[in-house]
Amino acid sequence: MAATTETVRRVKVKPNYEMIAWKWMRYSAFALIPLVWIHAILQDVVVGVHAMDLGYVAERWASLFWRVFDALLLGFAFAHGVNGLRQVLNDFIHGEKGRKILNWSLFIFWLAIFLIGAIALIGGVNQQFPLE
Amino acid sequence: MEVRMRIFRFNPEKDRKPHYDVFTVEAQPTDRVLDVLEWIRGDVDGTLAFRRSCAHGVCGSDAMRINGRNYLACKVLLRDLGTTEITVEPLLGLPVIKDLIVDMGPFFEHYKTVMPYLVNDELPADGKERLQSPEQRERFDDTTKCILCAACTTSCPSFWSNGQYVGPAAIVNAHRFIFDSRDQAAVERLEILNDQFGVWRCRTAFNCTEACPREIKITQAIAEVKRAIQTGRVE
Ligand code: HEM
Ligand code: FES
Repeated sequence: MAATTETVRRVKVKPNYEMIAWKWMRYSAFALIPLVWIHAILQDVVVGVHAMDLGYVAERWASLFWRVFDALLLGFAFAHGVNGLRQVLNDFIHGEKGRKILNWSLFIFWLAIFLIGAIALIGGVNQQFPLE
Repeated sequence: MEVRMRIFRFNPEKDRKPHYDVFTVEAQPTDRVLDVLEWIRGDVDGTLAFRRSCAHGVCGSDAMRINGRNYLACKVLLRDLGTTEITVEPLLGLPVIKDLIVDMGPFFEHYKTVMPYLVNDELPADGKERLQSPEQRERFDDTTKCILCAACTTSCPSFWSNGQYVGPAAIVNAHRFIFDSRDQAAVERLEILNDQFGVWRCRTAFNCTEACPREIKITQAIAEVKRAIQTGRVE
């Protein structure tokens, strides 16, 4: 029998939610590198928290780019944080049923906050500035 | 040199709670912690309980916590600890039976779940042996070094907080067969480990890699198993 020099095999492993959650922890972390850096440098250094007023918010809200950017930041950072929190809480939850409740509660929590935030960000405030 | 040994004591027949005993011992810097423990048991207190067998870092029976870190007592020289105050405690995360002896049962239960044996139902081509190239053998060489001492699994914070986690040692031993060209059960093992309490409980803390007395690159082996599950390629 001629032995080949490498061990390369295809395996088919049925995907499950844990595998997908792990993968998305990495994807969201990658997305967060530009999202968080741009956000932090712009808001905290270039503009500065003291220079932020209603006018600045209105200016950002006028640009679809920043609205989508902020929605992505919210979605990814929050998903990453909530999934990380799930990992931490699983240290303390040792029952099958408790874990199921935790998974669903955290998912609904994430979805609700993300949707409210995204609607507010992308939908905007149907009002003229300055607000009266 | 004089060393102060603070040793975790617990006798289930007498004690309600564990306590520490202190022994002051005259020793050489080149003595090992195991030598000091042997001396205490032989000459001072015969009730001190700990496991040891080979005394040469091969059998894996004397893994314990020395100054907060997991070692084989037979592989640490006193001079390498950098202090003469030495605290010796049983491995963390497994039930203490007596003094430095823990119940390895849960550890071996996890080990057994990953099919840690060669699976191949086909006869070898020449009817005698399954050939393998040096490169193929090299691929899983690192994980063949495991002696099942449990130093890694009991250094893992994920395992401490939730003992349902299969643990680094079991994953190392799965890796040893998953990446072996002669084996045919890679998919079964990967499916077992593709579980919340399989590889996904690993949070890349690297404690296992630091604790391993055989210097196995454990975190890397776990990552290779994760990658094989994610990509569907064992390579
Ligand atoms: C550039 C930004 C970030 C990167 C590259 C990043 C990367 C990662 C990675 C790779 C993990 C998984 C570690 C593992 O299990 O092996 C992780 C875990 C985690 N991350 Fe992030 N992260 C970032 C930002 C954030 C932010 C903004 C938050 C909070 C909202 C956060 C909260 C967490 C939490 C709670 C965990 C779980 C920790 C645990 O399992 O104990 N991360 N992060
Ligand atoms: S006594 Fe065998 S490994 Fe230390």
